[in-house]
Amino acid sequence: MAYSNFTFETVRKTFQLETDEAADISSGIAPMALSEYLTTTLARKVPLALAIGTEKASSELIVADILVELREKFEHRISFFSGIDFSVDAESGLTGVCDFLISLSPTQFHLEAPIVVLVEAKKDNPVLGFGQCVAEMLAAQRFNAERGNDLPWIYGAATTGTVWQFLKLEARKLYIDRAVYSIGQCDKILGILASMVEQKA
Amino acid sequence: MAYCNFTLEVVRREFQLEIVESAGIFSEVSTVVPQDHFMAELEEKVELAISSGTEKARSELIVTDVLFQLREHFNRRISFFSGIEFSVDTEQGLTGICDFLVSLSPILSFLEAPVIILVEAKRENLTTGFGQCAAEMIAAQRFNKEKGNDIPHIYGATTSGTEWRFLKLEGVRLHIDRAVYPIAQCDKILGILSSMVEQKV
Repeated sequence: MAYSNFTFETVRKTFQLETDEAADISSGIAPMALSEYLTTTLARKVPLALAIGTEKASSELIVADILVELREKFEHRISFFSGIDFSVDAESGLTGVCDFLISLSPTQFHLEAPIVVLVEAKKDNPVLGFGQCVAEMLAAQRFNAERGNDLPWIYGAATTGTVWQFLKLEARKLYIDRAVYSIGQCDKILGILASMVEQKA
Repeated sequence: MAYCNFTLEVVRREFQLEIVESAGIFSEVSTVVPQDHFMAELEEKVELAISSGTEKARSELIVTDVLFQLREHFNRRISFFSGIEFSVDTEQGLTGICDFLVSLSPILSFLEAPVIILVEAKRENLTTGFGQCAAEMIAAQRFNKEKGNDIPHIYGATTSGTEWRFLKLEGVRLHIDRAVYPIAQCDKILGILSSMVEQKV
């Protein structure tokens, strides 16, 4: 058992989560202006990612650049990791590789608490990433608690690169944002990610 | 059997390759200067890729951008694909997913001949990617031929993002360049990739 084996249903049952599937996490969040670089680069890379159509291409051409920009907005005071092994509790299946992971620690050489956002990339439908993303969020909650660095909320994003949907975990209560954002609203997406980092979403 | 199962030794035996290790096949190639914004972002991305340390991070943060620059250099007259299935001959094990693949066709919606460069990403040891890369190059040779779009040379690169090594396949003769190019010489790396696209080396 690993993160990738969890469906939304199994993660909910296994960890006895209470869910609000039509929550409002993001509507009030202000968009954040994109740098000129990101605007230009996305204009070129999004069509390419869409044409190639693999999860790998979307991660490389869209998601990674957005997260690099997020880190720049916070002047490198946060860290992000891509494709690292994040094994927290093998018995509960909280083990495996995370697509992307953001920590509030500026240390970039190893993963340090507190982890705040987990990003799960999917080829076709972000909803298919919910189970995996939530399992990773639960693992982050434990990882932080074990290090005495608890955060009240852990956030998640499931994305195809072009479509984004957000999640929020507060103890055993999981909120699924009712809004779905497209890459055309990248300033809003960046704003939401930033407010997650600031624990304001 | 699939591309990832091939070592250089196995690929040589199975396909009766003649392996020639030579120094500086690409040393005379002229440099191609990347766009300003690429250079501006590169330093930070290299730092992030090194610290995450995964093949995924290296692919996303460095390799993708280099290939993207290559496509820009040719005014998008070439295509590149990331993570696509490239199955050519199952019986011989020429099947599996290629990390990156460059075709001389501008079409992005599907892979069209001639395939010209196969790029295999590795976390660290570049020589461990030679077998897989060579198998993909042989597959490309067959793919092009079957589509009546033969080109005399097929090229390969194995890369950790921060370091690059290059290969060239000519009939059954596989040239392995002994030189290792660091990303600090990205103008040289782009120059070599460009000369491959132009079939000049």
